[in-house]
Amino acid sequence: MRDLWRDIKGTLEPFWVTLSYIFKKPVTIQYPEQKRTPYSRYRARIVLTRDPDGGERCVACYLCSAACPVDCISMQAAEDENGRRYAAWFRINFSRCIFCGLCAEACPTMAIQMTPDYEICNRDLLNLVHEKEDLLIDDGGKDNEYNFYRHAGIGVVNPRGGNEDETEPEDVKSLLP
Amino acid sequence: MVTLTIDNQSITVPKGTTVLDAAEKLGIVVPHFCYHEALGAVGACRLCAVYIETEQSKGVQMSCLVEAAEGMVVNTLEPTAVELRQHVIEWLMTNHPHDCPVCDEGGECQLQDMTIAGGQSIRRYRGKKRTYSNQELGPFIEQEMNRCIQCYRCVRTYRDYFGGTDFGVMGSRNRVFFGRFEPGRLESPFSGNLADVCPTGVFTDKTYRFKSRYWDLQEAESICPHCSLGCATIPGGRYRELQRVRSGTSKEVNGHFICDRGRFGYGYVNHPDRLRVPRINGEECDRHEALAAINDKIEKLGGEAVGFLGSSRTALETNAMIKSWAEQSGSKSVCFECHPQRDNAARSWVALRGDRGRSLADIRRSDFILLLGSDPLNEAPMLAAAIRQAESSGSQVAVIDARPVKLPFKAAHLVVRPEKLSTIIRALKSGAFDNFERHEQLFFEGVLKSIKKAERPILVGGGDLLQAEGVAALCELMAQLPEAGGDFVHLSGPNSYGAAMLSGAAPDFETILDDIITGKIRALVCVESDPFADYPDRKRLQEALSKLEFLVVADYINGPAAAKADIFLPTAAPAESAGTYINCEGRMQRFKPVLKPGEPLRITGDGGHPPRRFSHETPGDQPRSAAEFIANLVGQPVTINDLRQQIAADDDRFSGLDQPEQGMLCRANGELPTTVNREDVPGKGDDLLHLLPVADLFGSGPLLSYCSALDAVRSAPCVVLSESDAASIGVANGENVSLQTAEGKLAVEVRIDAKALPGLVLIPQTGADAFLPGGVMIPCSIRKNGARDE
Ligand code: SF4
Ligand code: SF4
Ligand code: SF4
Ligand code: SF4
Ligand code: FES
Repeated sequence: MRDLWRDIKGTLEPFWVTLSYIFKKPVTIQYPEQKRTPYSRYRARIVLTRDPDGGERCVACYLCSAACPVDCISMQAAEDENGRRYAAWFRINFSRCIFCGLCAEACPTMAIQMTPDYEICNRDLLNLVHEKEDLLIDDGGKDNEYNFYRHAGIGVVNPRGGNEDETEPEDVKSLLP
Repeated sequence: MVTLTIDNQSITVPKGTTVLDAAEKLGIVVPHFCYHEALGAVGACRLCAVYIETEQSKGVQMSCLVEAAEGMVVNTLEPTAVELRQHVIEWLMTNHPHDCPVCDEGGECQLQDMTIAGGQSIRRYRGKKRTYSNQELGPFIEQEMNRCIQCYRCVRTYRDYFGGTDFGVMGSRNRVFFGRFEPGRLESPFSGNLADVCPTGVFTDKTYRFKSRYWDLQEAESICPHCSLGCATIPGGRYRELQRVRSGTSKEVNGHFICDRGRFGYGYVNHPDRLRVPRINGEECDRHEALAAINDKIEKLGGEAVGFLGSSRTALETNAMIKSWAEQSGSKSVCFECHPQRDNAARSWVALRGDRGRSLADIRRSDFILLLGSDPLNEAPMLAAAIRQAESSGSQVAVIDARPVKLPFKAAHLVVRPEKLSTIIRALKSGAFDNFERHEQLFFEGVLKSIKKAERPILVGGGDLLQAEGVAALCELMAQLPEAGGDFVHLSGPNSYGAAMLSGAAPDFETILDDIITGKIRALVCVESDPFADYPDRKRLQEALSKLEFLVVADYINGPAAAKADIFLPTAAPAESAGTYINCEGRMQRFKPVLKPGEPLRITGDGGHPPRRFSHETPGDQPRSAAEFIANLVGQPVTINDLRQQIAADDDRFSGLDQPEQGMLCRANGELPTTVNREDVPGKGDDLLHLLPVADLFGSGPLLSYCSALDAVRSAPCVVLSESDAASIGVANGENVSLQTAEGKLAVEVRIDAKALPGLVLIPQTGADAFLPGGVMIPCSIRKNGARDE
């Protein structure tokens, strides 16, 4: 007997649930005519940002490529005439990327950042292989203050010993105590 | 032997072992910076703190300074010791820059590792950081002094171990500075070791600057191909490019270090002109086509009409393949060194050395070393380092040589004509010095006295100057040494010893050339050997080889022979293949492939990114190891391990070759070559001088001229003159002169050396087409530039 009641309830309840939604506002939107704004921490298309002085932030340290679980980042570091280390080329293969965000987390210079731009599907896989020109934006992304070279000791933006947290280079031939 | 307990495990170690070493034997790593196995302990960094529970030295102690004692109980995890280590790291990091992302040491940095291991991941110090200005130290080493943690390893390596004088420590209190006293190129030929020993990123390899991270490198254990010592190296590469070489560890050979020739001489593997596709008459073709053409031609000519030439830079396995290929085709003309004098010197060393050959480790422990015709810094650099270790622990060193041998330590030095060396060695044996001048007699008497006094004397010879006769004399003299003494002769190539063992009493290249001239031999197969570059008498070679009908060259460098070859096969460089070299003391040492053959991305991508298309092909992947080519030719494909087994089984002198242990010594000896009489001393004309080609640190050896990293340090063509010769020609140091030999005229710079012998002109081998050391002297004359030619 108890089973019978259970079956009736089980048959009617779903209808009730369905009916009750008829009077609610639909959540489905008509993509692509209609688009939704994702949260700013949404993890999609990756960009390379610039520091507040307009320089490329990426120093080609290979940390993002080491952190990447699917090995989709590759690059070659180089040095310019001021001693600045930068990426001669930098490539992300978005057909392999799983948008886990580990690269952005590993990046010591805030260069590589995730953006909410999720519309990067393409029929040709090669179009998903982005080079540095495709990745580089003219902005600091989530942080417009930080410039790694103003903290590193190698003297690229400021002369050696000229950063805020450094003293002037020592005179090693001085005999003063 | 003492037994102590570390972290509840007991271990017995020889007396004198430090607690740090004893712990390491148990697999317990005590963090440390300044201690280094080769350099010893100084207690500078204070990181290796452990807690000692027993009475003798109770409390927190530096484990690198405390000797293990009987019954000692050590706790490495005691809280105060752990805390001290953490604070040490913290204070070392107070001035450390925020540099890891742009630091080449990152990923293989001991400071990074220790910081993480110490658990000190937050910087509490908010003060300003000390900075330094850097120095420009030449083409090999980059300095970034801000990263220094004052462990003193660099000075201890550069000055104490290698005897360099231009580098040291300056400054006081917390601003000590490690660098050259004046900016400029580091003078020591061992400067590259700074990059290996510095536990931080102060000194890094400039040729590898920003190329890769350690974790991206493909590395493998290897053996240096640049001289006969066979130092252990670890080359590393990425994107089909060999990017650096660091030192491997081999207790018996190089210890922990290598020389700059071995470290920075890797460019030949990446050379842009390297030929990577087989060619027939200069036209690129398929590998199988080329192999078939070789077989056809050899069959047509008949085996007796074909000469086979291996080389002393070719792996033992390949040379053995060449030998069996020659046998199979019915040829008796097979030889493994195209420089006849070097070949004979190597064969005579292999045949006569007896069983008291000594290793570099023995030399480091020796108490008297006599150098006979050996210029270690230019011929076998790490030998100089080994002798210096002996010298700095009290050994005496004496040098008898034709060159003003420069050494990084004090040595008694006698300069004699090169052809007199054998006579001198025989005189040392007999003790009869009547035919010598007074100062020479005194020198020899001193040498004999020192030998008598010494317990472990070692005679060190150089194959190039001694030649077969001198080497034989040296082996005889050795028999008179005390039981613990021995001898050591360095040869020319990394596998000269192996080549000499395989040659036995077979004819040398001179005989092959004779046969080519008489038309008996009509085809020549050169495997990783280039007589156009490595045979001393260019004229005779031209004459002979122009008679050849068919020349096959298989090589990994694009030398002069490659351009003349009818068929060219691109072989894999040592870094791209596996093999065995036998070093000059008979040690069989294996090298493993680091990379697969392929054209570096830097070249194919023109410095830019990899191609934007998918492909299954690797550009330039056609080279194969020479052994593999020959295996295909003779129709019995074998793996390198089969090959080793076969060689070991066929010839019991090589037993152990197939065993995986590194560095077994070959058993027994080779045979003496069939001697060929040649004129050793050229005739003396009126104003005729004798030209003696000698080895040069960055110029000698068939591979070095293909290494672009060395371009900046290669010396300009020059001749070394004695003061009296210079005066009679009327030239001053640094002036340009023209050197006239039978081969033509050459403009060279003059260097006057107070120790040089009158009548003898030394010409260092500075490039690919310079005069070759190791042969006979050449009559020459020198004219001041501008002087009228008669
Ligand atoms: S981690 Fe950042 S700085 Fe380093 S290579 Fe990647 S993007 Fe560039
Ligand atoms: S020396 Fe080590 S800790 Fe210092 S910047 Fe370089 S990698 Fe980082
Ligand atoms: S430069 Fe390197 S090796 Fe020398 S003291 Fe500093 S950290 Fe140590
Ligand atoms: S001493 Fe010889 S084998 Fe050793 S690294 Fe130097 S060149 Fe190579
Ligand atoms: S390793 Fe012991 S004090 Fe540095």
